[in-house]
Amino acid sequence: MLIVKDLSVERINKKIFENINLSLTPGNITILKGKNGSGKTTLLKTMLNIIEPSAGSIFWKGKLLKRNFYDFYNHTTYIADTTSSLKKLTVKDNVNIWRKFFISNINDAQIEMALKTLKLDNYLNKKVATLSFGETKKLEFLRLIIENKKVWILDEPLSNLDEDSIELMKQTFEDHSSKEGSIIFSSHQNPGIYVTEEIEL
Amino acid sequence: MKFLVNPSKFNEMADYIFKPVLILSIILFAIGLLFSFYLSPDDYQQGSSVRIMYVHVPSAWLALLTYAIMTLYSIMALAFRIPFGFIFNTAVAPIGAVFTLICIISGSLWGKPMWGTWWVWDARLTSVAILFIIYLIIIFMNLSFENRIVREKVVAIFVLVGSVNLPIVKFSVDWWNTLHQPATISKLSKPSIDPSMMTPLIIMTFAFIMIGIAIAILRIKTEIISRKSYLS
Amino acid sequence: MNFLNKIIFFYYREYKLNMSGAQDILTNIIFFFVSIFIFIFSIGPDKQTISIIGVGILWTLLLLSSTLSLRKFYQDDFENGNLIIMHLNGLSFGFIAILKTFSHFIFVQIPFLLSIPIACILLNIANDKLFYLFASFGIGSLILSCLGSISSSMNLMNQRNFLLGSVIIMIFSVPIIIFSVGIINMEESFNSLINILFGILLIVFAINPWASGLCLKLSLENN
Repeated sequence: MLIVKDLSVERINKKIFENINLSLTPGNITILKGKNGSGKTTLLKTMLNIIEPSAGSIFWKGKLLKRNFYDFYNHTTYIADTTSSLKKLTVKDNVNIWRKFFISNINDAQIEMALKTLKLDNYLNKKVATLSFGETKKLEFLRLIIENKKVWILDEPLSNLDEDSIELMKQTFEDHSSKEGSIIFSSHQNPGIYVTEEIEL
Repeated sequence: MKFLVNPSKFNEMADYIFKPVLILSIILFAIGLLFSFYLSPDDYQQGSSVRIMYVHVPSAWLALLTYAIMTLYSIMALAFRIPFGFIFNTAVAPIGAVFTLICIISGSLWGKPMWGTWWVWDARLTSVAILFIIYLIIIFMNLSFENRIVREKVVAIFVLVGSVNLPIVKFSVDWWNTLHQPATISKLSKPSIDPSMMTPLIIMTFAFIMIGIAIAILRIKTEIISRKSYLS
Repeated sequence: MNFLNKIIFFYYREYKLNMSGAQDILTNIIFFFVSIFIFIFSIGPDKQTISIIGVGILWTLLLLSSTLSLRKFYQDDFENGNLIIMHLNGLSFGFIAILKTFSHFIFVQIPFLLSIPIACILLNIANDKLFYLFASFGIGSLILSCLGSISSSMNLMNQRNFLLGSVIIMIFSVPIIIFSVGIINMEESFNSLINILFGILLIVFAINPWASGLCLKLSLENN
């Protein structure tokens, strides 16, 4: 799967991080810990081949990620720390756009289930701009279910969530890892989620 | 020739040649101005105002030449990842802008007695004015980006895209029927200019080149120092 | 087939997005008409003068009003991370640039194209020139969209001085203006001028994905 070897990233004058080694294998959950500005987002974006590393290499299925990144993208969901839902549109429109754009094979019933568990079913016809920050964050997680892919790369998924939602995320993560999926997420603290690997930046 | 692409080699070379170049440019300016004011004849049509040519033509050539070199360095910097190209672009753009401005001002001073107006909307003049605005945009771009890596690459791309203006400036007098006179000096044919006017023109051109190189050396050295930690 | 679906639903998304903000596009068109009024007030309502300089005014204002919406070209998608998501969905940056260019053409320039006949009535432009105007603006606006893509992707990271983006477009649209207005004023050389315009379109269209894609990648990398 994804193997990161001796990765370092440099910006104009300073090193952001050095010699990171990690691997995403089926069924494991990796947490990326670190203070603000320690380069968690940078590392995740480097793993997505958006930022070029200054040293080290990333392999996907035995090939260099640079040569093979569209295949990697086909198996990856990335959730950034910004909200990617379109603020001008309703929740329903957003869900529809995602379902079509990602050519999802999820049926209506599953979507409804997911919306219900995320407690978003009352907001279906409201604009995203009227939702609270936590709710837009939860709406973002709907993409995990819609895209239905193996590798999850999540940037600060647990910030701004209440305890119920964190509990929900915990279950979702365990469920996904039991289905041979792999997760890497960044967070400055671990609220009791079972992780197989911990990386300190 | 490594000093043309390597900052530290350039620094060594610059220390070596800066003073000679500066002295040479002063001498050439002295000789050239002497020639152009006293030792060259009046034009039979244009009278004494033809002497503006000795400033106008070299500055126009250098405005184009500067942009052409910037284009070359942009290609080098983007395609072969030579950071010196970015340094060169940042440092040299204001010099080109000044040359273009000299060219425009001297041209309109020349145009007033000859054509009767300061400015006409003819192809050559317009394209040179656009060249000037392109230089200004490059300078403003250099000032308005926070992130240096983005800034220098974006500027290099812009220089490349803007280089379409160069052939338009060069050939505008041939392509369109304009008020501006066509080029009198070209390599392929015998120049249609008298040797007595040719001498001061050539001397002034070299003087402009030398002063350009001297200022460029100073500006490039400043630029290198300002980003020293990046290159070492 | 998947790829085609992605393209179709890219435009579905753009359609939804633009329809929810339809007042933005309408504001552009109102800006266009109000500036025609201002022009006529400032030069006086003399029919003869207006019909001489009408075409020039029309083209200038079309250019100015289509640069108004440039800021939105990539900025929204850049800031909320949708550019990364589109890229992760298998579209390269150059291809995103092409799709976005056409989206700008369809949702911003076509409304202008449709409002040209009304503007022609206001500016006293003869009916037989309408075809030439449509032909030149149809090609010219696509060139403007390409240039808009290049300049707005260049200025994504430029928080201080966004007006530079509009200046860049206006500089490079000088030849387009020359040839398009030439088409309308010299109808006998219609074929040659429209070919030149078409050539410019092909050049700009070839440069666009390369330059915009590079700038998008650069801005995402350093954001």
